[in-house]
Amino acid sequence: MPLGTLDRTAPPLFNQGPSALSKLIFFSALALFLMVADGRFHLVQPIRSAIGTILYPAQWLALKPVQMVLGGSKYFDDLQTAQRNESQAMKALASQAERASQADAMAQDNARLRGLLELRQTTVTPGRAAEVLYDAADPYSRKVIIDQGQTHGIVPGSPVIDADGVLGQVTLVQAFTSEVTLVIDRDLSIPVQNTRTGARSVAFGDATAHSAGMELRFMGANADLREGDQLATSGVDGVYPAGIPVARIERIERRADSAFARIYCVPTATVSGARYVLVLAPAGSQMPRVAPATPEPLAAQKKKDKDAKAKSDGKNKGKAEKAPADKPADAAAPAAQKPAAQPAAKPATAAAPKPEGRTP
Amino acid sequence: MIMRPGQQQLLLPLNPVFMWGSLIVAMLVNMLPIGRIAWTPDLLALVIVFWGVHQPARVSIGTAFIFGLAMDVQQSALLGQHALSYTTLGYFATTIHRRLLWYPVFSQSLQVLPLFALSHLIELAIRIIGGGVFPGWPVLLAPLIEAALWPVATGVLLAPQRRAPEPDANRPL
Repeated sequence: MPLGTLDRTAPPLFNQGPSALSKLIFFSALALFLMVADGRFHLVQPIRSAIGTILYPAQWLALKPVQMVLGGSKYFDDLQTAQRNESQAMKALASQAERASQADAMAQDNARLRGLLELRQTTVTPGRAAEVLYDAADPYSRKVIIDQGQTHGIVPGSPVIDADGVLGQVTLVQAFTSEVTLVIDRDLSIPVQNTRTGARSVAFGDATAHSAGMELRFMGANADLREGDQLATSGVDGVYPAGIPVARIERIERRADSAFARIYCVPTATVSGARYVLVLAPAGSQMPRVAPATPEPLAAQKKKDKDAKAKSDGKNKGKAEKAPADKPADAAAPAAQKPAAQPAAKPATAAAPKPEGRTP
Repeated sequence: MIMRPGQQQLLLPLNPVFMWGSLIVAMLVNMLPIGRIAWTPDLLALVIVFWGVHQPARVSIGTAFIFGLAMDVQQSALLGQHALSYTTLGYFATTIHRRLLWYPVFSQSLQVLPLFALSHLIELAIRIIGGGVFPGWPVLLAPLIEAALWPVATGVLLAPQRRAPEPDANRPL
């Protein structure tokens, strides 16, 4: 029998590097450091996305058998299921048809009313359809993975909705996939508005092992809430567009010993088993900002008028020069202050050392 | 060479490609998107402990840590959660590797049960402290299933080393 036929190695003569205990301490400390950095300070997103990109081929490979089984089982759906699905879809279409036909007229009315009241127009949020690949396996949180990522232009924080309501929010974007934290996750909260009373509050995820629910916290025991009230996004957060249904109040417990009521809600979106979702751009990025450039022409005109007045009026001259002296070289002054600050620029630049040094 | 009691034959040398391949296959099985089931046995932990016991010079704490990070990212768990639990698994595998193999296989699976229980306990404790959702009592089943799979792992993963040293025409295996 030649040498090396058996799995046998001589005991090592020399030291084999650090001992097992020191390795344990080192790697445990590293793991604890990573956990604190992830859980408390959210510092590890680059590490996460780097490992995620390396793992992507493996994830893709692991997804294939499951997709094949699911796709194969579709072929064996019977005729009754298909017919039932079709009739359900037709019913849903019929119930939506009336509202859809009114929607155009309502939108016109709404635009006219908003114009009358001089309200800002509601923003139109562009969306991107995505498919849910799978539920994240972590049993301690409620997240799903969708098939759109950084390369498709998904940004972290985007709201995700499905046909029935708000599903959650994109919390991690990788190259080809994104992670959506569902509304029932303990870490997610959504500002909502009661559609019946208009009262605003915040809904928190309240998933347990067996149920998928939400909770309205810090609502007084005497708040005007009823079981069955619909909650929709209020739009005050700058993330979710206003008016998308979130949840329905299922049960209210008012207790004598507490100033707050416990309010249990059920999310309207299909949080378990949603297949196609829509990723919206965060509402904050869509909001028209108060552009600093727009008042410029007006201000410039006023300034010209003022200058003209100042030139023609001998008394005004002293004032105009005094005001500049108070705020010298205020380059970053807001547009509203410009008429006052603008004349200041001339004396200030003249007094600055640099131009003086250059001129001779 | 001393034959341990219960060991039927001397083993061939290990093929490192097979060992790393088995680790990666276990990771792929762990990655199968079958949903959020609390009692899913962690096959990667099982394979790491197995090679940590049988080949402590090759698979050790560092390897366990790296695979743990990969699992954290894949499961969208807290980064470091699986890394810590696998690190402890690797450490205890190294600690018990001289003793464990002197026992018959079913007794071995009883002795690795506390290791798996500890690793799941670590994950549970970390996540409950971190404000996670309690996954339900089926989570207690996971270490039991993993320990029950130990004889299976022994059969499958040692099979290449149990071949005859010189294959001949009459005995192809």
